[in-house]
Amino acid sequence: MKNNISANENTADIKKKSFLSDNTREKLRIYWYKFSRNKFSILGLCIVLISIFLAVFAPVIAPYPQHVKEFVDYDKAGLPPCASYIFGTDVFGRDIFTRVIFSFRGALLMSVIVLAIAVPVGVLLGLIAGYYSGTWIDVIIMRITDVFLALPPMILALAIAAVLKPNLTSSMIAVTVMWWPWYTRLVYGMATSLSKEYFVKNAELIGASKPYILFHEILPNCLSPIFTKMALDVGWVILIGAALSFVGLGEQPPTPAFGQMISDGARYMPDLWWMTIFPALAIAFIILGFNFFGDGIRDMLDRGR
Amino acid sequence: MLKYIIKRLFQGIFVVIGISILIFIISRVVPGDPARMALGPRAPQFAVDELRKEMNLDKPLPVQYYYWFKGVIKGDFGKSLNTKRPVITDVKEFLPATLELALLSGFLFIIFATIIGLLSAQYRDTWVDGLTRILSYVGIAIPSFVVAVLLLLIFGYLWPVIPTLGRLSSNITPPPTITGLITVDSLITGNFAAFFDALKHLILPAIALAIGPLFQEARILRSALIDNINKEYISVVTGYGLPKGVIMRKHLLKPSFIPVVSVMGLDFASLMGNAFLVESIFNWPGLSRYGINAMLNKDLNAISAVIIIYGVIFLIVNIIVDLIIAWLDPRIRLGGE
Amino acid sequence: MKKRPFKRATVLLLVSILVVSLALSGCGQNSSQNSSNQGQQNAAANEKIIRVTVSGTPNIDPAVGQDYGSCTALANIYDTLVFPQNDGTLKPMLAEKWDVSSDNLTYTFYLRKGVKFHNGDELTADDVVFSMKRLLTIGEGFAYLFTDVVKDVTAADTYTVKFTLNKPFAPFVETLVRLYILNKDQVTQNIKQNGQYGDMGDYGREWLITHDAGSGPYTVKELQQQAYLYAVRFDDYWGGWDKDAPDAFKLIDSTEGATVRTLMNNRELEITDQWQTTENINAMSKIPGVSIATIFSGTILNVMLNTKKAPTDDVNFRKALAYAFDYDSIVKLFPGSVKAKGPVPHDVPGNAADLMQYTYDIEKAKEYLQKSKYADKLDQYPVEVLTNSDVPDLEKIALSMQANAEKIGIKVNIVKAPWISIVDMMSKVDSTPNACIIFVAPHYNEAGSILESRYHSKSTGTWEQGEWLQSKEIDNMIEDALSTVDKNERFEKYKKIQEVLVDLCPTIWVLDQAERRAYQSDYMYWPGAELAKQGKPVTSVMGYNFYFHDFKIYPEKMKK
Repeated sequence: MKNNISANENTADIKKKSFLSDNTREKLRIYWYKFSRNKFSILGLCIVLISIFLAVFAPVIAPYPQHVKEFVDYDKAGLPPCASYIFGTDVFGRDIFTRVIFSFRGALLMSVIVLAIAVPVGVLLGLIAGYYSGTWIDVIIMRITDVFLALPPMILALAIAAVLKPNLTSSMIAVTVMWWPWYTRLVYGMATSLSKEYFVKNAELIGASKPYILFHEILPNCLSPIFTKMALDVGWVILIGAALSFVGLGEQPPTPAFGQMISDGARYMPDLWWMTIFPALAIAFIILGFNFFGDGIRDMLDRGR
Repeated sequence: MLKYIIKRLFQGIFVVIGISILIFIISRVVPGDPARMALGPRAPQFAVDELRKEMNLDKPLPVQYYYWFKGVIKGDFGKSLNTKRPVITDVKEFLPATLELALLSGFLFIIFATIIGLLSAQYRDTWVDGLTRILSYVGIAIPSFVVAVLLLLIFGYLWPVIPTLGRLSSNITPPPTITGLITVDSLITGNFAAFFDALKHLILPAIALAIGPLFQEARILRSALIDNINKEYISVVTGYGLPKGVIMRKHLLKPSFIPVVSVMGLDFASLMGNAFLVESIFNWPGLSRYGINAMLNKDLNAISAVIIIYGVIFLIVNIIVDLIIAWLDPRIRLGGE
Repeated sequence: MKKRPFKRATVLLLVSILVVSLALSGCGQNSSQNSSNQGQQNAAANEKIIRVTVSGTPNIDPAVGQDYGSCTALANIYDTLVFPQNDGTLKPMLAEKWDVSSDNLTYTFYLRKGVKFHNGDELTADDVVFSMKRLLTIGEGFAYLFTDVVKDVTAADTYTVKFTLNKPFAPFVETLVRLYILNKDQVTQNIKQNGQYGDMGDYGREWLITHDAGSGPYTVKELQQQAYLYAVRFDDYWGGWDKDAPDAFKLIDSTEGATVRTLMNNRELEITDQWQTTENINAMSKIPGVSIATIFSGTILNVMLNTKKAPTDDVNFRKALAYAFDYDSIVKLFPGSVKAKGPVPHDVPGNAADLMQYTYDIEKAKEYLQKSKYADKLDQYPVEVLTNSDVPDLEKIALSMQANAEKIGIKVNIVKAPWISIVDMMSKVDSTPNACIIFVAPHYNEAGSILESRYHSKSTGTWEQGEWLQSKEIDNMIEDALSTVDKNERFEKYKKIQEVLVDLCPTIWVLDQAERRAYQSDYMYWPGAELAKQGKPVTSVMGYNFYFHDFKIYPEKMKK
């Protein structure tokens, strides 16, 4: 089974990417082999692809795309799952299936944006602090990082999101603010030891510029752990985002979000259980998928094995 | 060892000061006049001005911070907008409930993670191991607030055998407050009815908090055990003919716990964060529920207090975790001394 | 790997855990069952208590408390000079009788003798003077009812109080249901120095958060923030006691659906709050022994439109919103309620019967929208609608508004906030959203109360006026009406004001709310619910429908 998949992938690689050198192809083959050794990684990849597909094509797939906009129909409120509403409707008469599909959008968008900001910022600060380790630059950056890391992430995110205006942007800001320090610390450790390596010392002797050393000598050697952490973090960002929207600090109505749907539904339990259960299953699905996927990426980039 | 602890505490103080600056900045970014908010829209201007002076709001920001932090050290966080009384009074009232819950769920996940970890290492690649593995994924995938909502659905409506809300049934006389932990207080005073009632109320929120980290820790323990059993030194010490118990304890269990304990600090952090939602769901009158109410109501003094207190608790937990690791791992312990 | 190296440790741990947990759960089951049964019996035999859920921990300082829970608590803890009856009239309470001077500026009250405060002190005229002065100085709560009205208050002798007014104020005696009488000596003894009130320190504010200094039928036993207020019977109450009257009441701070329903189910709650969703009320009506009370209490649901903020500063824009509102389907969501006919609820004396009505009419809405100055730039002016996040049913209204406004091209953004933030947002004109969905009730039983508290300039900055009308003309009309002593003439003036308001359209008057609460009809007698069942009026003075002294409770009839 596993071999088949990798074999197919190989032929596809050869056909499509014949411009790639043999060396690159070989690398890709090894990556795929490592990734696909665990069948859960493949499952994760499938879930990730399905989630992205749902998020991108939500308006096409969802049966009632108008139900995520300004829409109420109190005659159809609280219908249990049936043929025309497979997940039932909520107390406002909106299709839950449609709203679940659209929630994938917000969740993915949030994790992409948060990581797109937090990772570069965190990595850059980590590189600088690591390269200048022992100087006051290191002290300032790392003490600030320590302060952010000294609080449970969810608490800080809740506090920041709460003092800002409640909406998706605020919750993204909140999560971003608490996320960068983890990358700073990750990169700092690596950069500190790398900056003592001979190739960095060599580059310094040749007179390479500081940015060159940071980005061409040190950064490339830190990439694997960074990518692994990013892959694993997508699920966490989605989870924290859901927690924020659960208490009302995320997407505002009528735009749906997982956490918001679960907390709305919890008010109408147990009679309208479908309002809670389906969004809950959806969030478990997406987080599980990204965790499997992240594990696969870790296996793939892990040099030890 | 002592030097190490002192160093950690010293670092900790700086971190707490850092947190206080951070939270002060956050709380002053919010628009609005704290004095006016505290007294209400119809309060006469002279009273508001008086309070502004009392709260040092008429001075520049760094000076405000100085006075504010001076108060914080003495436990004076100002008044809560919500409850209209000193925040420290609220904290004293709500903190024990949170500690009780956190301790029990921490206890639950350590004990059960150990058992399940041992079992799945013992019966490696059997159904026990498989089930643990699947459950560990479930633990990751289902956020604790969802677990809490589901537990509420099951035990609140479908199968009402355990109370789902609050700390104590209304028909039980609460024990006198000694430690503030109802289970402990009731045991001290010999009030067993209250003890078991309190325990029953604790169980669901504790499960909701513990279930996520539990199976993951079990998995980590399992891998560590399996890794270590195959290491050479085990066969060496076995060859020396050391008693099995000693091998188990000293050479297998102790090193295998190192990765578990180091993850525990992080797990405890997520547990504390999740408590913010779980306490609200179960109407648990703890500091986390107080904190989330404060956040939703923009009750800045209360928010600051809750965050600083959680910062201190988290710091202490991390120091304890480091100490345990040092005790487990002779390399660190000896290196540290 | 045939040897199972972990076996011993595992077995040992497992066994010990099993023993411990068995011990816990085993004994737990038995002894707790016994004890909880015992507890139950104790509760059944001894505790004659009425428990009600409320939104927010009651604020029991008479100069601060103002919301529903606080009013309920205050009505039971403190006494007032006069008492509102269900038929809308007043009866003497602490005051046995009163005179009004011919110029309608001086009111003299003769106090009942021998009324005891909870600490045993006798209630005298000094206490009344102190209570009024304290209320006016602190300026919160119901102070605004008196601020511009009362010039001076003096004790003529031990049992006679004289109020002097600035100008005639016809419903003055009606407003006195909001002057709760405090024990002067007791408060003074508990003043914290260095407060904001000069000589009076903090005026006892801190102490009065958790204590009472009243003479009412119940006295505060315990106030737990974000949990409950527990008050017990005051045995020496001057009004005497019925043998079936409750010994205690508890106002529980939680309106969370699951909590309330569980408590109702376990008979740990006698009356629910009125904020439960229709779905939840219907579900609770199926619990044996639980009935639903549907009571009109003068409450009206408003969508307050900020008239000082674009785009709702344009009268045609406001009318467009009023016509784009689906009244019928909203009223259907609140069983028992009726469409509001204007600014004053239909059950409050002085309401005008035949006002022009706004109806759901998209064509008309479009017509008015065209006339507004924002017609061609709607996308630049979204309307912000604020709802209370503690009251989920209100979100249904907001979403319906959003959907219907969209039909005429108006973009609506919904903001959900908890009550205390709403109060804060509405304290300034800039931070008051375009539309706030809020329930309002009169503070005393006459149209003048709601007109003044809703549309007079002095109520701007409070949650009761999100309109920021600030119209000198309307202020004058309201003041003129309130100082008109002749009732017919006054009511005619009220009518005029209502007509002007309807034309200005500062508010979408949605519905006159029938409060729906589930209650334990099997073992509790609730006078208000019984009256409502017979179609008779129930007092619309907030809080007095829960005057527990007149309730009856029969714990022995409680079914588990």
